[in-house]
Amino acid sequence: MVNPEAIREQLNALRQAYAEQLPGKILEIEEGWRKLDQGPWDPKAFLTFHRQGHGLAGSGATFGFPGVTERARTLDDLLKTLPGDKGPPRPEIVTRIFEGLGALKEASATSPVVSAILPPPPTTGRDDHLVFLVARDPAFAESLTDQLGHFGYAVRSFPDTAALGGAIDRERPGALIADLPAPPHDYEVLEGITGLQKVPGRRMPVVFTASRDDLATRFSAVRAGGSGYFPRPVDISSLIDQLELLTSHYSQEPYRILIVDDEEATAERFRVVVEEAGMAGRVVTDPRQISGPLVEFRPDLILMDIYMPGCNGLELAAVIRQQEAFVGIPIVFLSSETDIGRQLGALRLGGDDFLTKPIAEDRLVASLTARAQRARVLRSFMVRDSLTGVLNHSRTKAQLQIEVARSRRQGRRLAYAMIDIDHFKEVNDRHGHPTGDRVILSLSRLLQNRLRKTDIIGRYGGDEFAVILPDADGPTALKVLAEICDGFSHIRHASERGEFGATFSGGVAILTEAGDAGRLNEAADRALYEAKNQGRNRVVLAE
Amino acid sequence: MATPLNRILYVEDEEDIQTVATVALETLGGFTLRVCGSGAEALKEAPAFRPQLILLDVMMPGMDGPSTLKSLRTLPGLEKVPVVFMTAKVQAGEVAHFKEIGAVEVIAKPFDPMTLSARIQDIWNGSHG
Repeated sequence: MVNPEAIREQLNALRQAYAEQLPGKILEIEEGWRKLDQGPWDPKAFLTFHRQGHGLAGSGATFGFPGVTERARTLDDLLKTLPGDKGPPRPEIVTRIFEGLGALKEASATSPVVSAILPPPPTTGRDDHLVFLVARDPAFAESLTDQLGHFGYAVRSFPDTAALGGAIDRERPGALIADLPAPPHDYEVLEGITGLQKVPGRRMPVVFTASRDDLATRFSAVRAGGSGYFPRPVDISSLIDQLELLTSHYSQEPYRILIVDDEEATAERFRVVVEEAGMAGRVVTDPRQISGPLVEFRPDLILMDIYMPGCNGLELAAVIRQQEAFVGIPIVFLSSETDIGRQLGALRLGGDDFLTKPIAEDRLVASLTARAQRARVLRSFMVRDSLTGVLNHSRTKAQLQIEVARSRRQGRRLAYAMIDIDHFKEVNDRHGHPTGDRVILSLSRLLQNRLRKTDIIGRYGGDEFAVILPDADGPTALKVLAEICDGFSHIRHASERGEFGATFSGGVAILTEAGDAGRLNEAADRALYEAKNQGRNRVVLAE
Repeated sequence: MATPLNRILYVEDEEDIQTVATVALETLGGFTLRVCGSGAEALKEAPAFRPQLILLDVMMPGMDGPSTLKSLRTLPGLEKVPVVFMTAKVQAGEVAHFKEIGAVEVIAKPFDPMTLSARIQDIWNGSHG
């Protein structure tokens, strides 16, 4: 089963091993070049030399050395232009190769960065963070490009739909935004988009923006394949929501199904069935041994045989339900029982559903998937903030304790930040609470977009957020948050009273030798206070 | 519903990349992975392993990615298996070329190990959607 912490550890170990071998590898590459340079020229050795350099370009950033990738790419670009079989290159090229190797060495001497501060990989195939924009109005195009940029989207802008087809063949954006001008020019755009959607290789999600908000225009937009319609001024948070919905494919952890059946062969068969459907299965054949898997496997659902020796399924369900932590896990009984009365009895004791054996595999899978999915959504309501979907106050606090303990155990760094929107009360008073909520939402989106997947984001309440950054040191955390702070200050929010901007202040603290979650919290809070004192719209690192 | 992706044949000559991709695809992604160190080994392993998807490094000593792909296509049962290239060469022209010779997608190296399996899953969904 998937344990993120174990994976992070494995990746860290790999990163470390790579870092240790890197100087030796570069030395070997350099040695290879020296030999070539001193002659006699050997085309085969040149090929090897080129391939080794190319290899570093492909591996560096994966292991936390984006600088190595960058320098090796420069070298690779240079080597690519050389006909290796025609003898040594010209002296000035030789000098450049030596320089390139020097730069490579230098880049390898820096300390590795944590994976997510990786540069985005160059475009291949469909790029979910690339958006095409068709807009006649250059000011609108520029402002939207700028806004989307803060959320990590790159925008290519086109004045009309004419050049669009060719551009799509060259690179695939995740979505297309088309701005509808006033009639009759709106017709040209709608036609262009409709035509595009008819070419299989060019079809893509489209959303429209428009200066008008009437039913007729909305209908035309839907007919042209639009999956969203945003009247101007565009509410950027809603647009981002829609883009994310259209472009991102959430990679979800597989649902975990715990199978309790005393017959091993039956249990194994169910396990294979659920695993083939993409879920994770774990088998327990002795019902008395269920507590261990309940805790460490954290099932989303329990599939249980009703008649087992020593302990029957009904009693076991009742026992599981007595423990508060497991109240939310759905229990599905499986039995050849066809008596409706007894089936109902099973449900009264805490079962959620009753499936009759023999059962068709696809029906079993469908039934389990639906229940596991709903259970997971319900559980997320208990730990997540209802407005923003990030962790709620109590969960964030609990998570900070966990992360602090983990960092201590593993001797790792940990950064913690508190963030507070500046003068938020004024935003609410002036623009109304729904607008205020949207500002909060846009900040949470920005944090989710800009931070690594391994970082933990929580809403502390009101306009206050907390961010836990495992493995980050002070300067790195400060840099990342300062960039987010800058990005946030550039976002334009829309309300009935017009467009406006908002800022936040942040305080960052680092886990110290003697520190604990409480002190970390206090230090970050003090730094936040300091940031407010210094004039807001900034992030301060605690002393 | 499309068949879930499980068996991936992965051809890569560099050991450290092999290891990190194994963590990304096997541990994190939950796929069943068969790693081959060269094109020749891939040709030997593929028929019995019956991969659902093949991940192919482009620049390898001996048989490179494109020629491995060409040979794989001649093997029974592998005529239509989607092949994904991995490469540090990512100019648009080259990507187009790789697609012309039969790659369904090209993944840029260096890749982010935390998101690699999601990317592969996407490609799989796309090629079956």
